[in-house]
Amino acid sequence: MTDKISSESTDGGVATDERSVRPFGLPSWVVAVLPLVLLALVIGAFVLTSPLAGVQGGEPLPDLTITHTTLPSEDTIVLHVTNNGPDAVTISQVLINDAYWNFEVEGAGGDQTLAPMESAQVVVPYHWQPGWDIHTALVVSDGTTFGHTIVAPSETPGLTTDVLWSLALIGVFVGVIPVALGMLWFPFIRAMSNRWLHAVLTFATGVLAFLAIDAGFEAFELVEEIPGAYEGTALVVLGILGTFLLVQSVSAWREGRAATGDARASSGLWVAYLVALGIGLHNLAEGLAIGSSFALGRVSLGAFLVIGFMLHNVTEGPAVVAPVARDTRPAWYHFAALGLIAGAPVILGGWIGGLAYSPTLGAFFLAIGVGAILQVNWEIAGMIRTQGGRVGSATNLLAFLVGLGVMYVTDLFVVL
Amino acid sequence: MPAVDYGRAEEITRTLERRLVERLQSNVTATRRSVLGGIGVAGSAAFGVSRSGASSGGHDDHDGHGGHGVVGEFEDADFDPHEYLTAFNTGRDGQENVRQDVYEEDGRTVREFELAAVDVPITIAPGIEFDAWAFNGQVPGPTLRVVEGDLIRVKFSNGSRHAHTIHPHLRNLDPTMDGVPQNGPGALAPGESFTYEWIAQPAGMHFYHCHAMPLKEHIHRGLYGTIIVDPDPDRVRENPRDYVNYHGPITDEYRDELVEVARSRNHEYAENDDVNEMVMMMNGFDTNFDGDNEVYAANTQAFAYGVGSTDGNGNWEAGETKRPIQIDRNQLQRVYLSNVIEFDPINSFHTHSQFFDYYDHGTTLQPTLKNVDTIMQCQAQRGILEIDYSDHEPGLYMFHAHQSEFAELGWMSFFEVV
Repeated sequence: MTDKISSESTDGGVATDERSVRPFGLPSWVVAVLPLVLLALVIGAFVLTSPLAGVQGGEPLPDLTITHTTLPSEDTIVLHVTNNGPDAVTISQVLINDAYWNFEVEGAGGDQTLAPMESAQVVVPYHWQPGWDIHTALVVSDGTTFGHTIVAPSETPGLTTDVLWSLALIGVFVGVIPVALGMLWFPFIRAMSNRWLHAVLTFATGVLAFLAIDAGFEAFELVEEIPGAYEGTALVVLGILGTFLLVQSVSAWREGRAATGDARASSGLWVAYLVALGIGLHNLAEGLAIGSSFALGRVSLGAFLVIGFMLHNVTEGPAVVAPVARDTRPAWYHFAALGLIAGAPVILGGWIGGLAYSPTLGAFFLAIGVGAILQVNWEIAGMIRTQGGRVGSATNLLAFLVGLGVMYVTDLFVVL
Repeated sequence: MPAVDYGRAEEITRTLERRLVERLQSNVTATRRSVLGGIGVAGSAAFGVSRSGASSGGHDDHDGHGGHGVVGEFEDADFDPHEYLTAFNTGRDGQENVRQDVYEEDGRTVREFELAAVDVPITIAPGIEFDAWAFNGQVPGPTLRVVEGDLIRVKFSNGSRHAHTIHPHLRNLDPTMDGVPQNGPGALAPGESFTYEWIAQPAGMHFYHCHAMPLKEHIHRGLYGTIIVDPDPDRVRENPRDYVNYHGPITDEYRDELVEVARSRNHEYAENDDVNEMVMMMNGFDTNFDGDNEVYAANTQAFAYGVGSTDGNGNWEAGETKRPIQIDRNQLQRVYLSNVIEFDPINSFHTHSQFFDYYDHGTTLQPTLKNVDTIMQCQAQRGILEIDYSDHEPGLYMFHAHQSEFAELGWMSFFEVV
């Protein structure tokens, strides 16, 4: 028994000796749990005896955030609030345009007091006029005020089948169609020499890099609207890094499979799917932005906006199919799947954004998109290298720059 | 010391002065002409400066510091602040857009007016529109003029998308007619109507406004107007003490004097025709929702009583919408003034080179302030000013709010005495 353990372990790890397997003569799981048990005991003792009671200096300040507002009808204002502070906060009064107004707090358990991290809606029956700014302020029990200005208000459309249908239609036009059209460059890309193919691939990384930069800044801008209790900045960083690591681990697993001789795992189709996934996650965040703007009544769905999005997203098509250019042509359903994975999330994002928008959700989805895109760029660079190309060649660097430039210019057409 | 020839010095000074004036004037004409020629290329800052220069009529402004005032003309065909000054609705006659009637009922004179609240864009400065809530489409609302003791019957209909009321600043004895959301018919929803009835008392300078909540919004959006209650000379003769802040004996002479003032105030008496009467409501507009006014004026339009292109002798160019109020120096000037400003605690009225008598609320027939050149009013305060220019030289005399900020944002006006 002892011999077996010391020679080889079943999980492929390094063998250990008996001393560390049974420290203090205890089973290893007991040793693993012991620190936690002791920690629980210390916390219990601290709570019961409260040794720092005399050291307490002052009280923490109340901290409310009005994350966003909705205007379901011309005589109602709904303020969505979250308590960020460590103590409960009571919303005692509401000011609308510097005048006390009646209100009801919904979702706080029937009273006007919000526990830490609790969210609620303050519903104000106020006959506002479209286009005339509304200055709102919550007055909490100690007199502190928390304000929010609704600029140029207009009625929130609400979620009807009409709206769902409109958002789906917008998603098809700004997500699915341009990506599908962009994929039609496949035969053209296939006919290219390696040098130009690599240029197309780096162009695609340029496109993706721009999206990552753009979305990254947007995510950090949104952080300002996220209630402090959710640690917005950390959430965005976690979203970016976490997604990067997740996608990277999938990729590493694929490489492991390829190394053991799995032909499917070594094909460019894998990379193509990864690219589609990255773009899809990004488009999910894009859809979320469209949906939430729509839900907040803050978007004019003019032809200009839709055309802008189409120009912007058409470049994502070649990015998806370029990795399979050197393989045997994949079956048609792969193309359909790639197109859907990359483009269709706009629809899903639109619905989520229209249904349950919050800046926290918005920033998190943007971060996920950024993480996925960063990994995809890593992947494409690796692909160029395995095909014997040099990532940093003059042609490739310029192609990357062109990718960034094209995205910047087409981004100017998209004003949300 | 050498002797000084004062006569010659005076002559030389005058020649120099004349030469300077001629030089300046030719400069002004040249600048104006070249600028007007080049207006096609507009859009530049030079456009603004030179146009406002032109609008001050060659009197000043060409000292290289630019000119003060709004640029362009008013293009609001629905409201003319010059016509508004003297547009009194008495039931017998008045404005075309105010349906009105006068008749006897139970031994009392009834003056009936139809007022409707509507949402309408108004012009508050050249090229600047303001989404107003207005009585009969105008801000200030129509001036109602009645006689003490009359019944004022206001048939109010609400054509706005918001609920409104009419609240009178009168001695009204019936709480259901107070025009507040908490009383009587309350706030009248869009499409509803109600007939308010108020006894016209006391004699004086009063006003009406919407009292729906939020009050700030409903007042500053334009729902206000003037009610003038003319004193009844017969009643004054019987109860003179009601009209003075005076506790001494009332002699027959004094009584006659008060009756004479009442006749001069009452539009139904010939003595009233000897006086030039004007209504001014000092108001302001918050165009960017920051709780502060961007435009101030007497009667809505910024600088509408400004100098324009007048030559100071009663001659202005056709189509000038910015022009001074022309007055006859031989007539007594009576201004029915009120302050309906929102967001600022007070407003004021100051006359240049002139002192006047002020009757706070107009409820007395003897001035409450005698011989002053500045009065101030809080919101809803009002009063009557009597101004006499008979010994002044003809020309332009400024009057304005003596909050310089208000003046430069539009509440700066001129009388042109001829």
